[in-house]
Amino acid sequence: MMAAPARLEPPRPPEDTAFPPPPEWDVLQFDGSDRALTDTLLAPLRGVGRTWWTLFVLSALGTLLFAFTITYTIAKGIGTWGNNIPVAWAFAITNFVWWIGIGHAGTFISAFLLLLNQHWRASINRVAEAMTIFALMNAGLFPILHLGRPWFFYWLIPYPATMGVWPNFKSALPWDIAAVTTYLTVSILFWYAGLVPDLATARDHAASTFRRRVYGIFALGWRGSNTAWRQHRIAMVLLAGLATPLVVSVHSVVSLDFSIAQLPGWHSTIFPPYFVVGAIYSGFAMVLLLILPLRWAYGLEHIITKRHLDAMAKLTLVMALLLTYAYVVELFVSWYSQDPSERFTYFVERPRGAYAVFYWIMITCNVIVPQIFWWKRFRTSVGVLFAAGAAILIGMWLERFIIIVTSLDRSFLASSWHLYRPTWVDFGLLFGSLGQFGLLFLLFVRFVPFVAISEVKRLRHDLKANDGRELGLPHA
Amino acid sequence: MPALFPRWTNGVARGSLLALVLLAAGVPAGLMLWVRTSYATGEHAQITQPVPFDHRIHSHALRVDCRYCHATAELAASAGLPPTAACVGCHNSVLLASAPLAPIRASLTSNKPIAWRRVNALPDFVFFNHSIHLAKGIGCESCHGRVDQMGQVAQASSMSMGWCLDCHRNPVSHVRPRSEITAIGWDAAHRGPANDSLRVRLAHDYHVQSLTNCSTCHR
Amino acid sequence: MMSDRPRSHRDLALSRREFIHLAGASLALAGLDGCTRMPAEHILPYVDNRPELTPGVGEYYATAMSLDGVATGLIVESHSGRPTKIEGNPEHPASLGASGPLEQASLLQLYDPDRARFARSQSTPTSWEVLAAQLAPAALRPRVGARGAGLHVLIEPTSSLLDEELLARVIESHPDAHIYMYAPLVGDRGAHGIVTHYDISAADVIVALDADFLSSGPFHLRYARQFADKRRLAQPTDAMNRLYTIESGFTPTGAAADHRFAVRPSDVAGIARSLQSALNGGTAGPPWLAAMARDLRAHAGRSVVIAGEHQSNSVRALADSINDAIGATSRITWRAPTPLIGEHVPVHSLTELVAALRTRAVDTLIIVGGNPSYATPAPFDFSVLLRSVPNSGYVGLYENETARDVRWFVPMSHYLESWGDTRAYDGTVSIVQPLVNPLYRSTTSAEVYAALAGMGLVGSYDLLRSSWKRRGNAEAAWGDALQRGFVAGTQFARAESEGRGSTVEGPGSRVAATSNPIDVLFVADPKVHDGSFANNGWLQELPAPLTQLTWNNAALLSPTTARRLGVGNGVHIALTSNARHIELPALIVPGHADDTVTVHFGYGRAGAESLARGVGANAYDLWPSTGVRFLSDVAITVSSKTSALALAQTQETMEVREPVRHATLDEYRAAPSRVGRRPGRALSLYPEIPASERSATQWAMTIDLATCIGCGGCVVACQAENNIPIVGASEVRNAREMQWLRIDRYFAQRETEVEALLQPMLCQHCEKAPCEYVCPVQATTHSNDGLNEMVYNRCVGTRFCSNNCPYKVRRFNWFDYNKHLSDTEMMAKNPNVTVRERGVMEKCTFCVQRIREAGIAAGREDRPLRGTDVRTACQQACPTNAIVFGSLNEPDSEMVRRREQPRSYAALDDLGTEPRVRYLARIRNTNSEIAGAKHDGGAR
Repeated sequence: MMAAPARLEPPRPPEDTAFPPPPEWDVLQFDGSDRALTDTLLAPLRGVGRTWWTLFVLSALGTLLFAFTITYTIAKGIGTWGNNIPVAWAFAITNFVWWIGIGHAGTFISAFLLLLNQHWRASINRVAEAMTIFALMNAGLFPILHLGRPWFFYWLIPYPATMGVWPNFKSALPWDIAAVTTYLTVSILFWYAGLVPDLATARDHAASTFRRRVYGIFALGWRGSNTAWRQHRIAMVLLAGLATPLVVSVHSVVSLDFSIAQLPGWHSTIFPPYFVVGAIYSGFAMVLLLILPLRWAYGLEHIITKRHLDAMAKLTLVMALLLTYAYVVELFVSWYSQDPSERFTYFVERPRGAYAVFYWIMITCNVIVPQIFWWKRFRTSVGVLFAAGAAILIGMWLERFIIIVTSLDRSFLASSWHLYRPTWVDFGLLFGSLGQFGLLFLLFVRFVPFVAISEVKRLRHDLKANDGRELGLPHA
Repeated sequence: MPALFPRWTNGVARGSLLALVLLAAGVPAGLMLWVRTSYATGEHAQITQPVPFDHRIHSHALRVDCRYCHATAELAASAGLPPTAACVGCHNSVLLASAPLAPIRASLTSNKPIAWRRVNALPDFVFFNHSIHLAKGIGCESCHGRVDQMGQVAQASSMSMGWCLDCHRNPVSHVRPRSEITAIGWDAAHRGPANDSLRVRLAHDYHVQSLTNCSTCHR
Repeated sequence: MMSDRPRSHRDLALSRREFIHLAGASLALAGLDGCTRMPAEHILPYVDNRPELTPGVGEYYATAMSLDGVATGLIVESHSGRPTKIEGNPEHPASLGASGPLEQASLLQLYDPDRARFARSQSTPTSWEVLAAQLAPAALRPRVGARGAGLHVLIEPTSSLLDEELLARVIESHPDAHIYMYAPLVGDRGAHGIVTHYDISAADVIVALDADFLSSGPFHLRYARQFADKRRLAQPTDAMNRLYTIESGFTPTGAAADHRFAVRPSDVAGIARSLQSALNGGTAGPPWLAAMARDLRAHAGRSVVIAGEHQSNSVRALADSINDAIGATSRITWRAPTPLIGEHVPVHSLTELVAALRTRAVDTLIIVGGNPSYATPAPFDFSVLLRSVPNSGYVGLYENETARDVRWFVPMSHYLESWGDTRAYDGTVSIVQPLVNPLYRSTTSAEVYAALAGMGLVGSYDLLRSSWKRRGNAEAAWGDALQRGFVAGTQFARAESEGRGSTVEGPGSRVAATSNPIDVLFVADPKVHDGSFANNGWLQELPAPLTQLTWNNAALLSPTTARRLGVGNGVHIALTSNARHIELPALIVPGHADDTVTVHFGYGRAGAESLARGVGANAYDLWPSTGVRFLSDVAITVSSKTSALALAQTQETMEVREPVRHATLDEYRAAPSRVGRRPGRALSLYPEIPASERSATQWAMTIDLATCIGCGGCVVACQAENNIPIVGASEVRNAREMQWLRIDRYFAQRETEVEALLQPMLCQHCEKAPCEYVCPVQATTHSNDGLNEMVYNRCVGTRFCSNNCPYKVRRFNWFDYNKHLSDTEMMAKNPNVTVRERGVMEKCTFCVQRIREAGIAAGREDRPLRGTDVRTACQQACPTNAIVFGSLNEPDSEMVRRREQPRSYAALDDLGTEPRVRYLARIRNTNSEIAGAKHDGGAR
C-alpha cells in the first residue's frame, strides 16, 4: 500500500484544464473544472434550503424527546421501562446493538476499502465516517443509561480503586466498554484527519473572515505542501490500518455480551461473525438512506454515480446472503443439539410465539427484500435502494429485538415465563436517539464538506493519469 | 491577502494540543488522588462532642480500661457508648457540678440521652463486628490509633475498603495477645521480626483466618 | 436461642420516647440506605444501665398469637426494643416450631401505619380514660337499666381465661347484660362446644372430606408436621401414609394428597353417605369410592376420616360413625372441650344480637375486636342496625367499616403490645407478653372489660397477675410460663364419648338440591383470612397457594366450567343470589370441581386501611347467613368487563423442562435411581476452588417435595427476615415481584385426577454459578463456604446475572421500593440485613446474616462452626420440615442424609450448574386399585 509518493502526488494541472466527458458508467462523471467541483461540493456550507430546515426542526424535536426520556429514566429508575424478570434486557440493548452495528459500515467503507485500494469510496467515505461517529455516540449512551445505577458506570473500567477490587474480566461487559471507546476514538481521529485538507479548502473559499478563522482553526494551518500531503497520506493509511481490525473486533465483543450466556438463543458460537456481518449489513442500509437524499438534494449524480449505487447494492446483497447463512446455521445447530430448550426457542417461540409476527417481518426484510439486487435495474434505482435500505434497517433492529427478548421471555423454568411490553419511555428513547442522530448529521452536512473534496479531486487526476482506466473497481 | 492568524497563534495551537492530552490524563489521575486524601476520607477530622471528653485524661492518665465505657466491645457488633449513668458512676463525686459536664446533668434530669457525634462511621451496608476482632486478638489500637493521645477523638485511618482488606488479606501481622487487646502502644513496643513468630503462634492459637468473602462484611 | 432468664415486665418497660430514640439509633446502625456518602450521625446511648439489652444483639421472647380465639405459641426476635421477626415456639403444641403466613405477617400489622392512633367520641378526639369513666357501672346504669338489660357486648372469639373472668364480673354488675361472640369463620357454637381432635401421626390412611386440615383451622401446623413425619421415606422401602382428599377448590391439603377427587360442595354429603354404605359393602358412588373404602377398612385402627370444620352436622355425624366403624375413634380422633370461653359466662350468637338489634332492645353496644359491619352476612344489615344503636362503641386496630358505624372508638393494642392470656386448641394456656410498649395510646380487651366491671383503670398486666394469683398459680410458675411461652399441663382432658350427642353446632347449607346449575363455595382466604389481615402488604402480595393470585380475590372455576360459561382469566362474572350480587374476575384453576365457583372472603374492604381498600370483591355481600358453606341457587352472568389479574405465575404446566420430578411410591420402589439424580455435565470450564481455600463448613439445603404443601409460610418468613419490599399489583402484573423464595406450581393431568406439583424455588447457590462470571463488577461472587454471594453495594445493575440465571430467582429493584415506607414500617426491618436501594439486584443469600452471626459467635467462643448452628428463615417456618439446611461436611446431619436418598436431584442438573440446593422428588403413595394411579411418573 505504501506506494511511491510520486504516484500518489500527481502534478497539479492548471485550473482551466478541460476533462474529456466521462463514460456513463464511470465512478466520476464530473466534467467541469476543479474550481467548479470545489464549488459544487462546498455549496451546502454557503447555505441550506427549506428541506434542510424542516428536517432540522423534526430531528431537534426528536433530540428534545431523547433528553426528556433520559432525564426521566435517571430520575425515576429503570422501572419506567417495560423490562421485568425474566426480560431484564430489551429495547435499550436492542438500540445499543443496532446503533453500534450501523457504525460499522462507515469504518468498513472508509478504512477497509481504502486498504483494498477501492478509490470509488472517495465520494461517500466522508458521509459514512460521520455516520459512524454519530451512531457510536448514540450506541455509547444506551449501555450506561441501561444500568440500574448509571452513576457508578466507571466501576466497569479498570482503575486502582480504594475499594481494592477490580472489574470482572471474565464478563464481556468491561471489554465492551473498552471496545466501544476505542472504536469511537479511532473513528473520530480517522474522520478528522481526512477532514483537515477539506477544512483548509473551506477556509480558503469562505466568504467572511469569521468563517475563515473558524475553519482556519480546525484546518490546523494546513497549507497543502507536498510534505504535508505525503505525511497526511501515510497517517491516513496507518489510521486505516488501526481502524480495520476494529470493524471485526468491536461487534465480535458485543456479540459476546450474549453468547457467553448459557441462555438458549444466545449461547451460540456463531455469534461473532454473525454479528459483524449483521452490523455491516445494517450500516450499508443506513449509508444508502443518507447518501441518496444528499445526492438528490445537491445534484451529485455525477459524483455519487450509478456505479456507487450499484456497488453498494452488490455489497448489501453479499451481506444479506452471509446473514441468511448465519440464520440457517443457527437453526441447524439448535435442531442438531437435541436440547429441548434450544429447539423450543428456535422452532416454537420465535416462529410461532407471541412475537412471531416480528420474526417474520425480520426474515422478510433481511433475507427476502435484498434478493431484488440480483437485478441490475433495481441496483441502480434510487427509489428501490432507499426503500430496501429502510426495510433492512427495520429488519436489523427487529433481529436484535428477537434475539434478546424471545430468548429471555421463555427460558428454562416455565414458572418464570413472562412477556415484555415496552412503555412510552422505551419508544421515546428509540425515536429520540434517531432524532439526535439526524440532528448531528444535518449539522455535519451544513458545516463540514460531506464529500472528501481532496480525495475526489485526486481520484479525477488519477483517472486521467491512467487515461480513464479503472482504478481498483471491478467492471459492472 | 494578509495572514489569517498572527504568528503567536502557532504557540497557542501547539499548547492547546498539549493541554488536551494533559487534561485527558490529568482529570482521572487527579480524582484518584483526591479520594485518597484525608479530606475525602475524613481521617483526622476534628469533631466537637457535646461533652469535651478527653481520652488523654481517662485512658492515658487515669488508665481507665476502654471496656469500662465501651462495654459491649467484646460481646456485640457495636462497642457501645456509656449510658449517662456510667459517667455519673465516677463523676457524682468528681466535677459533676463543673460547666463542661452540664450536658450530663441535663441528661440525668431530663432522662434524655446525650447525643454524641459519631467519629468512626462506616457505610450502612458494612457490617463490622467488634467482638470477633477482639476475640481474634486484634487490638483497639489497630484501627482506632493512639486514642490515649487524642484530646478529641478523630478517625485514625482512612477506613476505606482497601484499608480493611490490607488486614483481612494478611491478618497475622496485626494479631496480639488477647490480654493486650486494650493495651495502647503495644504495637510500637513489639514491632520487628522478633515478634513475627509470636504473632504467627497467636494467629494459630486464635484460629485467625484471612476472611475475604464479600459477605464477611456485606450482608 | 431464648434468653436465659424469666422476663419480668420491668425488663420491657421502655418509655415511648425512649423507644423511638432507640429505634432511631438502631435504624442508624441498621443500614437503611445504600447511600455511600456519610451523613453526620448521632449515637444515642441509654440514660440508665440496661444489662438485659445489648445494642445490635437480638433478644428472644415467647408469646402467643390467637386467631379466631385459638392460640399459636411464638418466639419473637427483638432488636433494641423493637420486634423484628416472628418464629414458632418449638415447645408449643400448636406450633412445634413452625409458623404460617399469618403468624409471620402479624409483625407487619404491629407497624402498620394505617393503625388507628386516637380515641374519639363521634368525631371529637377523646381518651380511653374519659371513655372508661363513662363505662363504669354507676355511669352506665342510668342508660342500660339497673340489671343492665340494655347493655350488649360483642366480642371476637377468645379463649382468654382473663377475659372470661372479667366478663363474668361484668355480668355480675349487669346481670341482664348480653355477651355475644362472633367471627365469620367460626360457626356459632353452643356454650358447651365440643371439638374434634386428631392424631395424624397415628393414621396410615386419611380421608379428608372437604377438610383443609393441613393449612387452615386450629392445629393445622401440628397436623401438617404429623402428616409429613409419616412421609419422609429415608429408604424407598419405608412406610408412607396415604391421603385421599375430597374437595371442591384446590387447597394445600389437596396438593399434598395421594389421591384427590374434585366434587361439588353439594355432593360432599352424598359422598359421605356412599362412603359409609361402601364400608358396609354397598356399591353406591363412583368406583374410586369403593377402593377408598376398602383401603380404610384394610387399615382399620390406623385409618381416619376427617370432615371439614364447616361441614353440616349430618356430614360430621357420618364421619363420626365411619370413624367408629374403622376404629379410629379414641385412637386417632377424639373429642375435647372447645378452648373458647363460654363455660363460666353465657355467650350468645350473632343471630341473637341481630334479633335484639331489630327489636331496638339494645341501648349500649360495645364491640371489642372483629369487624362485624363488614364481615357479617348481607341480609343482617348489621351496619345499618349498628348505626341505629344510641350508644355504640368499638375497640379495634383500625378505623374500619365498623368504626365508621359507632359513636365512640378506642384503638386496640396489637398482641405484640399487650399483656394477656390465651389457650391453644387443646386448651394449653399461653401468656401473651408484649415485646414493646404500645406505639399509640391504645387499650386491650381486658382493660375494657375491667372498666365495664367497675374496676376502673387497671393495666392488663396487673389484671393478668392478679387473676394468675387467684387461679392459685405459684409465683415461680409465672417466670417459667413467660419463658416457655405456655403453662405446662393445662390442656383439656378428652371429653367423655357421650359428649358425642351434643356435637359442635356445625353449619349446614341452603337447599342442597342436586339439580342446581352451579354451586358457589365460600372459603376463608389463605392470606387475608376473614379480612382482618387485608391491610397487610406481605400477605396481599403473597401468591395464593395453587392459584398464584396476589392483590385480589377471584371467582375460581374449573377449565370445563369456564369453557361452558365462555370466560377466560380476568373476565368478570356476576354472581346473583336473591337480589344480592357481587362481580369479580374469573380465574381458571385446573383440578377445581366442575359447576362450582369458589369465592374467598376478606376482600372488597371499605375501611380506612389504605392497602386493603378497593382490593377485590366483598363475598360477604352474597353470604346469606352465618355458617353457610355454599350456595346452590346462584345465577351467573358474564360481564363485559375484564381486569388483568396479578398472577405471580402464568404458566400452568412444566412445558419444555422437568424441574419437578415425581413418581408413585411403587415406581420409586421399583427403580429408585430412575427417579432421582442423573449425571450432570462432567466437564466444566470453571476453575475449582482449591480444597485449601474451602472453609470447613460447606452450606447446602435439601428440600423434600414429597412433604411440601405450598402453604407459603416460608415465603413470608423470608420476606420478614430479609427486608424484602412489596411492590403492588401493577408491578406483580409485570413480573417484578421481589420475593426471594417463591413456590412454583405446575399442574399435571393424571387420567381423571389433576395433580399439583409444588416446588419452593430460591437461589440454588450453584457451585458453577452462571450469574457470577457475567457480572462485570464482581458484585456476585462465590464464598469459600459455598455461598453465591450478592453484594448490593457493588452492584451497578446491568441485570446480566438475571439473564443468565436458569432459575430466574434474582430480583431487581426497578424503583426505590423502600423510599415511601413510614417510620413504623422501617422499624420492622431486620437491622442485620441491608435495605436495598434502587437499581441493584438481590436474591436469596441462604440467610447469610444468620450464618455470619453464628460464625462470629463460634469464633468468640473459640469453637468450630457447625452446620446445625444455623437455621434459615424458611426452614424455621416450614410446618412440614420439608426444608433442611446445613453443612455438606457433616455426613451425619439430616440435610446430608436426605440428599443421599436415591430420589434427590438438582433442578436442571443437565446445565451443569451444580446447585447446592437439592430437591427430593415428589413421591405419591397411590392406591393401585384406583384408575389413574399408574402413570409415567417423573422418571423417564
